[in-house]
Amino acid sequence: MRGERSPFRRRPSRWRGPVELLSFALYFLCAVLLVLSRIGHGLLIDARDDFVDLSAPLLEAASTPVILARHGLQRVRSYAGAFAEIDRLKAENEELKQWEWRAKSLERKVDHLRSLLNAVDEPALHYATGSVIADARGPFLRSALINLGRDNGVRIGYAVINGDGLVGRTVDAGASVARVLLLNDLNSRIPVLVGPAGVRALASGDNSAELRLDFLPDGAQLYPGDEVYTSGSDGVMPRGLRVGVVKGTSGAYKVKPHAELSSLDAVSVLFFDTPALTATDPPSLADPRALSATPEATPAAQPAPAAQPAPRPTAANEPNPLDSALKQAVGVSSGAVSTDEAQAVQQ
Amino acid sequence: MSAILPTLSVLFAVIATAVPWGLPADATFILPLVVVMMVFCWRALPGVTLSPVAAVLLGLLTDVMGGGPLGFWALLALIASSAGTYSRVFGADHELGPLWLIWTGLVAGLACFGWLLASAFFLRWIDWWPIAFGAAASVALFPVVLNGLLWIKRSGVRQLPHASYRGRV
Repeated sequence: MRGERSPFRRRPSRWRGPVELLSFALYFLCAVLLVLSRIGHGLLIDARDDFVDLSAPLLEAASTPVILARHGLQRVRSYAGAFAEIDRLKAENEELKQWEWRAKSLERKVDHLRSLLNAVDEPALHYATGSVIADARGPFLRSALINLGRDNGVRIGYAVINGDGLVGRTVDAGASVARVLLLNDLNSRIPVLVGPAGVRALASGDNSAELRLDFLPDGAQLYPGDEVYTSGSDGVMPRGLRVGVVKGTSGAYKVKPHAELSSLDAVSVLFFDTPALTATDPPSLADPRALSATPEATPAAQPAPAAQPAPRPTAANEPNPLDSALKQAVGVSSGAVSTDEAQAVQQ
Repeated sequence: MSAILPTLSVLFAVIATAVPWGLPADATFILPLVVVMMVFCWRALPGVTLSPVAAVLLGLLTDVMGGGPLGFWALLALIASSAGTYSRVFGADHELGPLWLIWTGLVAGLACFGWLLASAFFLRWIDWWPIAFGAAASVALFPVVLNGLLWIKRSGVRQLPHASYRGRV
């Protein structure tokens, strides 16, 4: 065949007016889309949400073999270092037994002091667990798409955690999927408390693997290894969620997140409703399936409170082997978690 | 050659950009740049019909999947598409070397432009390292991707024997 001699056959060039015109129109279209995207045009956002909702099954199907392969690879790696890992876990288990005893003791003490003070119980946190079905890649965004949406009670602004700690918060919620803005995204700002002194700061993402610590008070004493956890002062995030540990030196402090943000798998959405969240809801909340509808308004899958002995298994709340790990992240004992407990774990 | 095959191959790559591979934060720019590279290659190879409209739509799909601003990857894909066409005009479509060289220059320009565009979009200087790393990786991957596309092209030609003699559209 003539074309088989060289795959890069030379072809005569020719200029065509309509093609040039079409190219110009397309360049113009891209520029218009960028401008509309910049100003956050509602039509564009709605269209994108609808498309992401529609493409969610395809993305989930495409992600499944990749996730399985990643798990397989992790398993092979863990087999390779199994004996060393067993020794490490034994040592860690011994240490954790000490911690368990101490935590129980502190829990009793806290309960006793609370009863003496007649303290009001803080509301419990409910959560739903799902998995990451797509990653956002690019210079703009560090986000992940999860297979929980409005039908599962997810709304915009909810905190998202995994077994290691805080992962991010939801910024878009479709019917069956939601987009999670990760901690290290350029637009992520989380008010935090740092170290045992509880120094207030703002953990800001800059699209790198670590977070910046902004607005530290003058003369703040921080040390590498200090724990960083949410302060809850934004009125959106619950207080006491683990974020990461301090790295670096004075003037250039960074936070290394506990969660491995580049390889997320199972995550949990905390249903933490605050006035700050409800105040930002759109006025069309009469529709229970509307964006940012409250979990109570959606009959499909309500998160199970701790008191219920056997929650109806759904995609959102069916028993998950990772649940115990997730509970560790915020110190929970069942399907609902108290912020007090989360703080107690921090201390 | 069928117009479907190039579009489908790039579509496959677009879907791959959204799959959670577990890549480190520095490597997040590689996969979308591979999509742009494929658009460039399909436009540069003779006898292939990937229209600029398809290039823009695939770029838009990358934007939607990635959650970034709409039009960013569409614009980069369109620039790559135009560059691919001009590489044919200037007769650089018959050798791997010149195409590789053109892609190196193009991706350097695209990386700078993308970085400036992203910085302008967010009104702050964004981290340049992932973009530079992605551009360098795409240059290294160019022969692999090009040979893969040539393999697809040859497969398509086998299925549609008359298509190999069609002019470009």
